[in-house]
Amino acid sequence: MIRTLASHEADAPFALVARAGNALRLSAVCPRAAARGLAPGTSLADARARCPDLATAPHNPEADARALADLGRRMGRFTPLVASDAPDGMLLDITGVAHLFRGEAALARAAMAEAGLTARHALADHAAAARALARHGANPGDNDVRALPVAALELPDEALAGLRRAGLHRLGDLARRPMAGLAARFGEEATTRLRAILGEGASPLHSSPAPAPIRAHARFAEPIARTCDVLDAIEALLAEAARQMEARRIGGRRFIVILERCDGARRRLEVETGLPTRDPPPVMRLFAERIDALADPLDPGFGFDAIGLAVPRTEPLAARQAELAGDDAGEDSMAALIDRLSTRLGPGNVLHLMPVDSHMPERAQRMSPAARTPPPLWPAAAQAMPRPLLLFDPPQAITAIASVPDGPPQRFRWRGLLHEVTRAEGPERIAPEWWRKVDGHLPGHGLTRDYYRIEDGEGRRFWVFRHGLFGESSDPAWYIHGLFA
Amino acid sequence: MSVHPFVGPAPAASAPVKPGMPGLCPGQLHELHAHAQDWASALAFALTAAPDNRAPLVLVRSPRRAGLPLQPYGEGLAALGIDPSRLLIVVAPDEMALLRAGLEAARCPGLSALIVESWGKLAAYDLTASRRLVLAAERSGLPVIVLRLDASPRASAAHSRWLIRNLPSLPQAANAPGQPTIAIELLRQRGGPAGQIWQREWNDADKAFRDRPAPLSGAVVPFPALRTGDPHPRVA
Repeated sequence: MIRTLASHEADAPFALVARAGNALRLSAVCPRAAARGLAPGTSLADARARCPDLATAPHNPEADARALADLGRRMGRFTPLVASDAPDGMLLDITGVAHLFRGEAALARAAMAEAGLTARHALADHAAAARALARHGANPGDNDVRALPVAALELPDEALAGLRRAGLHRLGDLARRPMAGLAARFGEEATTRLRAILGEGASPLHSSPAPAPIRAHARFAEPIARTCDVLDAIEALLAEAARQMEARRIGGRRFIVILERCDGARRRLEVETGLPTRDPPPVMRLFAERIDALADPLDPGFGFDAIGLAVPRTEPLAARQAELAGDDAGEDSMAALIDRLSTRLGPGNVLHLMPVDSHMPERAQRMSPAARTPPPLWPAAAQAMPRPLLLFDPPQAITAIASVPDGPPQRFRWRGLLHEVTRAEGPERIAPEWWRKVDGHLPGHGLTRDYYRIEDGEGRRFWVFRHGLFGESSDPAWYIHGLFA
Repeated sequence: MSVHPFVGPAPAASAPVKPGMPGLCPGQLHELHAHAQDWASALAFALTAAPDNRAPLVLVRSPRRAGLPLQPYGEGLAALGIDPSRLLIVVAPDEMALLRAGLEAARCPGLSALIVESWGKLAAYDLTASRRLVLAAERSGLPVIVLRLDASPRASAAHSRWLIRNLPSLPQAANAPGQPTIAIELLRQRGGPAGQIWQREWNDADKAFRDRPAPLSGAVVPFPALRTGDPHPRVA
């Protein structure tokens, strides 16, 4: 775990804590804590008794796994065959690559420096032996697996205790004996692991290399300058990318075209789709939109001499069979419409209404880009309180006269026009969200609103509120907050 | 199609209750004129005239040019019986982009209705632009509604032109505002009579604007002079 500490606790021993059963136990300790006698498995209460200034943090296995996967990607610069040895190991097959780094030892040093962690390493002829040497070897340099303790078999504690009671302390002691007895006493697992470590059984390396990026590139003998030629070239590249994606059953969500001009200038065009796709025509329409929407037109100069296409973001997309009866084009055409409008106007201008869990009317919804979020799920309409169809953002100040101090307004002036209130309903009292402010729960911080639904002489229905009760403010202001149908 | 928890009411009928009133038929272009403060009523009329209850509704608007800083409110839509997740709001920076985005959406066949909200003169909306919208609506078969707020009518290729006004509602108990009531005036109709005015009241059960129900007469059946089983029959 990589940690950042405040300066005052930088010298303190540090440990990670995980819940095991009903107890909190240390799951990892730093060298300073280990020097004070702490070890993984100690209960937190014991550890605190021994070492009162122990700094702890909860153990986060997911973050560890992410860091390990990230480390695996970085190890790709040493060898293409990298396998992670969960939870805290990494196996590198360095067959035939060590000479590139001036020998195995130099390669190991470079890999350790790249990792930047406190770690142990070992070199062996196969993966199981390397793992056992790195985890249980006495000195970093030696590579004699027969001298390893029996703990390298990683058997359950009872089995290890049984081996030690029988006087078998090293793997070499076991290897000299017939395997049948070992298998009968400690299970097949013990002999399989022993054979793997000794190199008699297979210990394959399960590497998961990163998939090759989807790319297509075209170079031209003569530079091309006309926009329609550029679009034709992009279409040919899209068809090639579609073939690559079809073989891997993926579809692209983001397509980037890089136009390389003769004079070295590069122009980058980028489109995104809401659903994964690999059909060239809809992507071509998006690129045509993008070129149309450019503030300055596509300046070819003396022409483009190369065009590259990359699909950096992909998602699984199985082959689809067209429906025999009827077409299911509704959802697709809607997604295509959202893509086209998002490409032309920008994703922030094609919006869905998202519900937000708040009782403040202006905070109960927000707009989010439709291209990036799935359609929202609104709760069933079960509320009884009247809500307007259109909401003012922000509320508009009005001057209102009420017949009684805490009653609905009798007439109000808005935008220079006097409205006589003929009917009114309310109040619906909405308190401020005191938990959002410091000291919001104290009186005087935040004003309560009294909402009224009113109708004027011409039948216009408004949602108005008085900002503040008479106890809270001496002269509460009135605002109009919405229009009803 | 995912299962949706929103419990919507029965689809609002696009056909009018009274046979006399033509609706906002699909596959045509309609213009709704309204005063800025009657905007909510005009929008509610347009939204509830949309035929299908599941397909998305697209509202193309240009808030920068709007006369009032208003935005659609999800809970208010739900109160009208419209699932707010159906609404897609497209924000255009200017009039030209507004009409182009409207045209793009009008060509999309999977929608329930397209509403283009415009304020003021809308200079770019001429016979050519409206004819384009008409052709797109005919091909895709969805009702295209141009909401024109604070605008004077001008020549266009639209099939019908309406004026929506708010009317005072029938008060409820304690003089509370009643159900929304509107006057719908048919200003112009292609190939049909125009000039009629209908009064409609919101019907919360149907989630649609309906004719105001006839008031109860209040008449009571008169007592008969001679009642059967009367122990003391009156003798004339």
